[in-house]
Amino acid sequence: MTDSHVTRRTLLRYGAYGAGAAALAGTAASWDRLTGADIPGRDDGSLVVATLGPAYGPEAIRSLTEGFKKVHPDIKLRINAVQATDWSDFFAKILTQIAAGTAPDLVYVATEGVQLFAQRLGVALDKWVKRDAAELREYFADVHPSLVESMMYEGSLYQLPVEFNAADMYLNSQVLERAGAGFPAPDWTRDDFTALLRDMKKSSGSQFTPYFWTNRLWGGVVPWLFANGTNLLAESKAPGGAWLWDGFYPGAERQGRGGGYRWTTPQATDARVEESYDYLASLIQEDLCTRPEGGNGQNLIGVFSTGRVGVTPAGGFWAGGLHLAGMRPGSFDVQFFPRWRTQRMQFGAAGYALLRTSKKQDEAWEFIKFAARRDTLMRLFETNQTTPARRSMLTADRYREIGPRHWQVFYDTLDKFPDTGPIPAPPQVAEVEQVLLKHTGTALASRRSVGPALRRMQSDLEKAMERDA
Amino acid sequence: MTNTRVPDVRPPRTVAATAPAVGGDRPSARDRGTRLLAALFLTPTIVGIVVFTVVPIVGSVVLSFFHWNVIDSPRWAGAANYREVFTDSTVLVSFRNTLVFMVLAVALQLLIALTLALAVNGRMPVWLRSVFRSAFFFPLVLSAASISVVMKYLFNQDFGVVNWALGLIGIAPVPWLTSENSAMAAVILVYVWQQFGFSFLLFVGGLNNIPKEIHEAASLDGATGLRKHLHVTLPLLSPTLLVATVVGVINALQVFEQPYVLTDGGPGDSTRTVVMVIYESAFEQLRFGEASAVGVLLFVLIMVVTALQFRLSRRFVHYQ
Repeated sequence: MTDSHVTRRTLLRYGAYGAGAAALAGTAASWDRLTGADIPGRDDGSLVVATLGPAYGPEAIRSLTEGFKKVHPDIKLRINAVQATDWSDFFAKILTQIAAGTAPDLVYVATEGVQLFAQRLGVALDKWVKRDAAELREYFADVHPSLVESMMYEGSLYQLPVEFNAADMYLNSQVLERAGAGFPAPDWTRDDFTALLRDMKKSSGSQFTPYFWTNRLWGGVVPWLFANGTNLLAESKAPGGAWLWDGFYPGAERQGRGGGYRWTTPQATDARVEESYDYLASLIQEDLCTRPEGGNGQNLIGVFSTGRVGVTPAGGFWAGGLHLAGMRPGSFDVQFFPRWRTQRMQFGAAGYALLRTSKKQDEAWEFIKFAARRDTLMRLFETNQTTPARRSMLTADRYREIGPRHWQVFYDTLDKFPDTGPIPAPPQVAEVEQVLLKHTGTALASRRSVGPALRRMQSDLEKAMERDA
Repeated sequence: MTNTRVPDVRPPRTVAATAPAVGGDRPSARDRGTRLLAALFLTPTIVGIVVFTVVPIVGSVVLSFFHWNVIDSPRWAGAANYREVFTDSTVLVSFRNTLVFMVLAVALQLLIALTLALAVNGRMPVWLRSVFRSAFFFPLVLSAASISVVMKYLFNQDFGVVNWALGLIGIAPVPWLTSENSAMAAVILVYVWQQFGFSFLLFVGGLNNIPKEIHEAASLDGATGLRKHLHVTLPLLSPTLLVATVVGVINALQVFEQPYVLTDGGPGDSTRTVVMVIYESAFEQLRFGEASAVGVLLFVLIMVVTALQFRLSRRFVHYQ
């Protein structure tokens, strides 16, 4: 007998292999396997809302879901708190979800991403706003038009702002006292600011930094550009938007409003931009402020609260942060950003953007309205982790326990300076931000490096703006 | 009576099972069974490699010839992404930075690891040796991102412990992370501190494998201290040195977390690495095609550098 013949033994062996393989395949086929459909909330009919995780803790999520269920028991809601370090990281993760076919219905979007989402992914809210005008009248009456305008793109409204933060100046009271300086006046100037930093430096040790700031789009060099009456990109307004202004805002408040901001031509080599950088470079040279370092300001809370920093720009969110760090109401305070050529200040706002891919757009609109309600925001922003977009929520009660004493500054930045505007955030914001941070780092190495760095910034910005977002 | 039985000329089964099939010889049933079983066991691994390695590599190469921003459909770009890469100063600088980083970080890492391995391998109580081994290896098991966050505080110019310590011996504060002159050094220090434990363990293992008799013979021949290390230890350790260098170089060329967290690539582009550029292009600027083109170039660079190392190793590596 040769090998070409199959013996009974071989036949039995292969039979056993076959049976074993079939049994394995059958068992595997009958197992409950994990698929994309098993991800909680996916394909189960829920309205999915993506939020920036660190800003929305479990308590806030419970509050939102339970509150919404009471109002709309027929709409199943799932909050997807995406963990991210900052807004650009958050957008990257949302875009990855969209690419993976698991796009949420709504995304919490800050000024940085408003135009990017509006241009590429968003649905204009105009038709719903017009339909529910009566219901929304109270909301718009309570929210500053600058915030609303920052959520418009080419004449349409894409989000209802629920929070914002303007770059105001926080001052450490203990450091002020040590320097023998009084609390600055609301109309303090850039020179007053410089003099204060010098006094602080004189009265403190070598381990002290009078002015600390982080290199980023919000609260970095941009507020100084605003104060000096310029901007990184030439700013104009899109036409349109009258349907909203005429419908919801009185004459004085709708004056000069348009269909949203346009940031187009880069102007990094503008004389005033260079002057602003020169000023910051001089502060660094004089040892009055830090070299620009990246980050989100969280690391700053510790050094500010221990009196190793005198002044820093921050928004209403810092009141909650400093309180958590153990600072008492009298130990810090807040004032407007100092005046230079203007006292125009900058802010960033946030709200919910509705995605085109959503199949539950009407339900999503109901959530947007619910999220902008006063009672919802009262529950959500209990710890002062931000500045509520609703003026009526900024009360003495809210800040009695946590300070600062001049808490009115937060909303007055909008009310008293109506030209205060959003950070420049065109659809190409990611590249613009990267270029700004990159060249700010080199520009401030010395005073001589300002000019060359700004020329490189201008060239890179031009390239970025020419690219399709 | 003559023996009429046909002699069994088949090779013994044990030989047949292990000998390679030659020419047109058909494998035995047992061979076929063994191969089938081997194939069954290997299938999950092969599927894993195909799905998670081959497909992404091929996908990246294909994507590098398209413009794709996740949201819209991909558009054919031809060689435009590669042209863009070769004319983009940021990308070119990132390649230069990565190569500089690789050379300095790997050299420092190997030097520290080898020095400490030789020290630990000397006369020392066993328990103390274990303590050092654990201590040096410990940073490697920590997350690079979390280490970098802590290091960012330590290296802070105004409030960091590093400058505070330097101040005690009269050295002025160094802008570690905010000066183009020192940022790369800080990133390399953090990276080396975390990574040298791996090379250290390899070297400790390699040193233990060197027979004591050879060292004793060298001593009898009059070799002492440094001479013994240079002419006996290092040649015998060269295979381990090759492995440590190859792994070190491949890891260093893919560095991301440390520069991303510590300096975000700055000041300017001074610490921007290739993988950072890939991340920024793809996930921040939605230019997946260009990111893939950079990824493909990095892949080629790693292949070339690794091949070069193996090629050079023929001269310097001695196998006993």
